[in-house]
Order: sequence, then C-alpha cells, then structure tokens
Amino acid sequence: MNTHPTPVLISRYAAGGAGVDDATVWAVEAHLESCAACRALLADAVGPATRDLLDLVGDGIAAGIAAGPGPTRRRRLRPTGVTARILPWLATAVGLILAALAFEQTVRSLPSLVLLVAPVAPLLPVAAAWSRRTDPAWELMATVPRRGLWLLLRRTLAVLAAVGPVLAVAGWLTGHSPALWLLPCLAFAAGSLALGGLVGVDRAAIGLATGWSVAVVLPSLAGRRLPAVLEGGSWPGWALLTVALTALVLVRAADHRRLGAGRI
Amino acid sequence: MMRAVSAAETAPTSYAWAVHAERLVVRAGRHLAVNGLDLALGTGVHGLLGPNGAGKTTLMRALATVVDPADGRLSLLGEEVTGRSDLRRVRRGLGYLPQHFGFYPRFTLREFVEYMAWLKEMPKAVIPGAVQRAVERVGLADRADSRMKTLSGGMLRRAGIAQAIVNDPQVLLLDEPTVGLDPEQRLHFRELLRELGVDSCVLVSTHLVEDVAVACTDVVLVNEGRLVWQGSPAQLAEQGGTGDAGDSAAERGYSALLRAHRAQVTA
Amino acid sequence: MDGLDEGELLRRVARGDRRAFDELYRRTAPWLTVRLRRRCADRDVVAEVLQETYLAVWRSAGSQAHASTGGSALGWLWTIAAHRLVDAFRRRARQERVPTVQTFPTVAPAAEEEALAGGIDADLERALLALPAELRQVLHAMVLDGLTARETSLLLGVPEGTVKTRARRARIALREALS
Repeated sequence: MNTHPTPVLISRYAAGGAGVDDATVWAVEAHLESCAACRALLADAVGPATRDLLDLVGDGIAAGIAAGPGPTRRRRLRPTGVTARILPWLATAVGLILAALAFEQTVRSLPSLVLLVAPVAPLLPVAAAWSRRTDPAWELMATVPRRGLWLLLRRTLAVLAAVGPVLAVAGWLTGHSPALWLLPCLAFAAGSLALGGLVGVDRAAIGLATGWSVAVVLPSLAGRRLPAVLEGGSWPGWALLTVALTALVLVRAADHRRLGAGRI
Repeated sequence: MMRAVSAAETAPTSYAWAVHAERLVVRAGRHLAVNGLDLALGTGVHGLLGPNGAGKTTLMRALATVVDPADGRLSLLGEEVTGRSDLRRVRRGLGYLPQHFGFYPRFTLREFVEYMAWLKEMPKAVIPGAVQRAVERVGLADRADSRMKTLSGGMLRRAGIAQAIVNDPQVLLLDEPTVGLDPEQRLHFRELLRELGVDSCVLVSTHLVEDVAVACTDVVLVNEGRLVWQGSPAQLAEQGGTGDAGDSAAERGYSALLRAHRAQVTA
Repeated sequence: MDGLDEGELLRRVARGDRRAFDELYRRTAPWLTVRLRRRCADRDVVAEVLQETYLAVWRSAGSQAHASTGGSALGWLWTIAAHRLVDAFRRRARQERVPTVQTFPTVAPAAEEEALAGGIDADLERALLALPAELRQVLHAMVLDGLTARETSLLLGVPEGTVKTRARRARIALREALS
C-alpha cells in the first residue's frame, strides 16, 4: 500500500490551485505526513513566492529565538503537589510508629503499642492528602473531572507504601505476627475510603482514627491489656473485614465522582 | 494521520444554553448567597456585575461545580447538575479561575498548567502543545519555566487564566481575572476575552464596570442573589441618567439599575 | 544531520540543538506552508502561523519529546499549526475579517493520478469524489486535519451546527457508498 505520488502530481499539489481534485489532495496529504522522500520532492517543487515566504518566516523565527526563552528543560524529579504537602504528616506517622516501637521495647508493662498504633498511623497522611486545609488549590481541584476512585487508590496506596516498611520493621523487631499489624492497617485504610464516599476521605480518616483511639487504644492502655480485637486469633476477622470493605469501595466507586464541597 | 470521528462528536447539540439556571439557590455557609436566580448564557462574553455580597462568587462556584446547588435547576452544557450527577463530561469542558487562586508554589508555571491539563483528562500527547499555546495566549511564554512562587500578582492571575483555558473549555468562568493587571495587560486581556467569546461561553465576574462595558457582548447584573438585569453594554449605558452616580455611561446605568432594584425590594 | 529522521531531530531540538532545529525547518516548512496555503488564502496569516508554530516547537520540544509515545513528529507539527491557524481565524472572525478558504470544484482525475498515493484506497476515493464538495470539506478538516467540530466551524466560516450536520450526512453517504 505504499505507492508514491508522481513528481508531477507533487508539483501540482505544491503549486496550490485547482489542478488537483479533492480526493487526490486528501491522498497526497495523508501520504506526505509519513513520507520524508516525497516531502523532499515537495520542498524542491515549491515556487519562488513560497521560497520568499519561507525565508521571511525563517528570519522572523531567528529573531524570536534570539529574543525569547530556550527549549524547556524537563525536570527529572517532578514534585507533585500532594507529596510536598503530606510529607510532614508522613513523617508524623513514621515518628508515631517508631515511638510506639521504642516504648514497647522499653516499657514492658503496657500492651503492644505497635499493634495499637498500626491501624491509625497511615490514616493521618491519608487525611492530609485529601484535606482542603492542606491543599491551597482545593477550589480548582474540586472542578476537575479526574477525581474518583482511581486517584484515590493511587494516593492511598502511595501512603501505605511509604508507611508499610516502617511498620514492617517495627512489627519484626517486636516479634508480632504480620497479620496482626498489616490486616488492621489495611482494613482501616479501606474503611476510610469506603466511609469517604459518604463524608469525604479526610473526615472519614480522622473520624476512624479518633474512634479507634478513644474506643480501643485508651481503654487498652488504661487496663494494661491488649484488646480482644488484636489478640492472636483475631486475624481472620480482620482479613474478612478488609476484603469486605475493599469490595464496598470498588462497588461504590461512583460515590467518589459526585460533586460536593468538602468531599474529595 | 487520519482521525476517527465519533458519532457523539457530530451529534446535534441537544441544549439551547451552555449555562441555564432556574430559581437557583446556593448556600455559602448558612447564608443563601444565591437566592432564586434565573440565568441563561450562550456563546459570547458575559460580564457579571454586582455589589459586594451580591452572590457573584458563590454563583461562579456553583457553575464551576465546586458547590452543590441547594435548590432550583442548573444545567451546564445540557447536563443537569444535581448532587448525584456524573459531571465528568461537563468538567472536561469547563475552565475556572477562582477569586482566590490557590496554586502549588514549587511547581513551575508549565508544570502546573500541565498538571491541570492532566487533571482535566486531556489526552497525554496533546498536553505539551496545549500548555505552550495557553501560556503564549496569556503572554507568559518567557516565564513558563519559572517557579510559580516567583511570579508577581498580575502574572499569577494570568497563570490562573492559562490553566483555565488550556483545555479550550466551552464554558469559561473567570472570577476577578483583572486584579493586579496593569493597564497594558488589561488591554491584552480584553483582546483575549473577545477572542475566547467567539466560540465559547465566557462569564467574567468583575468590579470594574469599564472592563465589562468594553469587552463583553452581554452584561448580567445581580444583587442579593437574584438576577436584576441582563442586556448589552449599550443598553446598560441607556439605563442611566445624569442624576445617577458614575463617571461613565455604563457606571451610571449600573447605579440606576441597582437603585431601582433596591427600591423594588424594600417596597 | 542528513541521516536523522524528524523525530530524532526533534529530540535534539529539545536539548537546545539549533542546527537540528534549522534542519527541521528546512525539511518540514515547505510541506507545512503548502498545506496551510490550501486552507487559507491570506499569505500574512500563513506567515504568522508558520512563525508561531516553529517558535512553539523551539520552546516546547522538551516537554513534547517526553509525552509522545509513538505519534509522529510531523503529526505534532501539524497539530500545532492547525490550532494556530484556527486561532488566527478566531481573532479575525471577531473583526469579521475571515480570510477566505479556497474551495475547488471537483476535477475529474486524470489517468496518471489513478495510481494513488498510499493512504486511501480506490473505493474510498470514488466515494469521496461522489460527495458534495461541502461535505468533503468538513470531512477533510475533521478526519485528516484532526479538528473538532467547533474548530472546523471557525476554519470554514460555517456555523457549528452546520458542520455537524454535514459530517453526519457525509458519514451516512460514505457508509452507503462503501457497502
């Protein structure tokens, strides 16, 4: 399918005017866009008026280049607005886990702080990533079509990827089964997303973090007992909860595209 | 290269007005900032005038889909805007410059406009060309690679306009776009406005009556959350008389209409 | 420079290579000029569009080289030029100084032209020629030039609704002719 137009045809095309019918013009133009050889023929076939035009424009371009900015240099590490904003909160989350780790290893009498802190530590940066207060461009962000589940998952997974390794180290150093800190962590993250479809992810994350702290962490510290929900045998329950909540998030994906101030 | 043209693209336009509001009610906090507003906007540049507190910014936010309408009907590009609508199609065709333009200081101008273009779901391959074009149209081509925190107030405003127009929106909402622009930049901006008004629906909210009188094809006057008057700048000028406050015919017309509306409301 | 294709030239331009840019201009500007002249009779407009296009290429080649995954350098060049052309028409539409777009009556293809330039086949060519000129014009702008209905309406100086109607009629006619 690669026949070239004849040089005569190319000359007639170059001359402008009615010498070539519309369908042939179509065919020639479609061909020229991908054939350098025929373009070279065309370059030779243009008339003096066109050559003058090209010279004139060439001078104008040279002047423009001299006067204006040079080619963009693309920065390799592109700072996304989100990363810069939530960095302090990521640091807080990591600090919280490390503090819990230190506490647990030194103060033997208290129940496992690492396990208590694990579910909620990632919620802080997740809330920060979606909160209007931390986003100077919130008003613009509220008007864009690319919202919704995909963006949400991307950011949440990024937070988990950042916080996860620290949690893993803490869990390993304190000898807890991975299921006991990983599954609650995932469950709460999924819970924030699911609840976030109703009230906004930032409110959901803060709400869940507060709820867990008040209902589980404080009584546990006061009573010096690990709560039942974090006992060794509880991990199937957490696994089930995580799966259910994740399914809910996916099913209710449309929630996240709806309009509304204060939502995502 | 041949492009496939979809049926949706060539389907006849199903709506009469790009922006159509009926008895629109929008809250700002607890206050009903927009309170029973009727509005019909088509292609062209529409100037939105009104005193402070008239509900202009809230109206712009509702049209930009930042806030839900509390009551009444609002349709944008033929799509009904309710709490439950899927507004992706509409939002792809929107451009918005908020009154307080929040940005990310460490981005360069080009990166920020590229980011906004991506968020507006423009195809990746066309984004760089569209960004360059947007940046040139607002006259910031030589600052495209500077960080946004180094831009002056007027430049930031123009940067905001650039991100609003990068996707060639069919509905362009500009809230106080000329703040911080010097007279020459304002002239340039008016040229751009007229150009944009040729094939899209532009709504410009401004305090400066002169901006409206010169660049707009249509003037919309709101007060206390309601539509007071809509007409051409020439008709606006006719509304005023020598007794009305104002240094120009348009300002006098504006004062006259406001005065009449206030009298009507209190009567 | 000679052995490099336009894509490679563009990548060098992105790194600030002025010689590559000049070579790109030498190779592609004639093609672009001829193509633009067939859509706009006003030489000043064509000159303006050409200048803006190549300056835009110089300044933004860096970000484009990164974003293009496939898609030819020439396709990109044409897209920039087409948008600048539509912008020029838009500026003049406001002042009602629309530069005329030349339309040519259909000329019966001569014998040597029946060997087609690769791109469309004989059936499509016959079907296209059978269309009324104004339908063909709309298709040319939308399919080959890659313009939207809105942009086509500015280019052809015809209301957007008319553009859409003609595109629909063209699609129906082509489907019938090719079936």
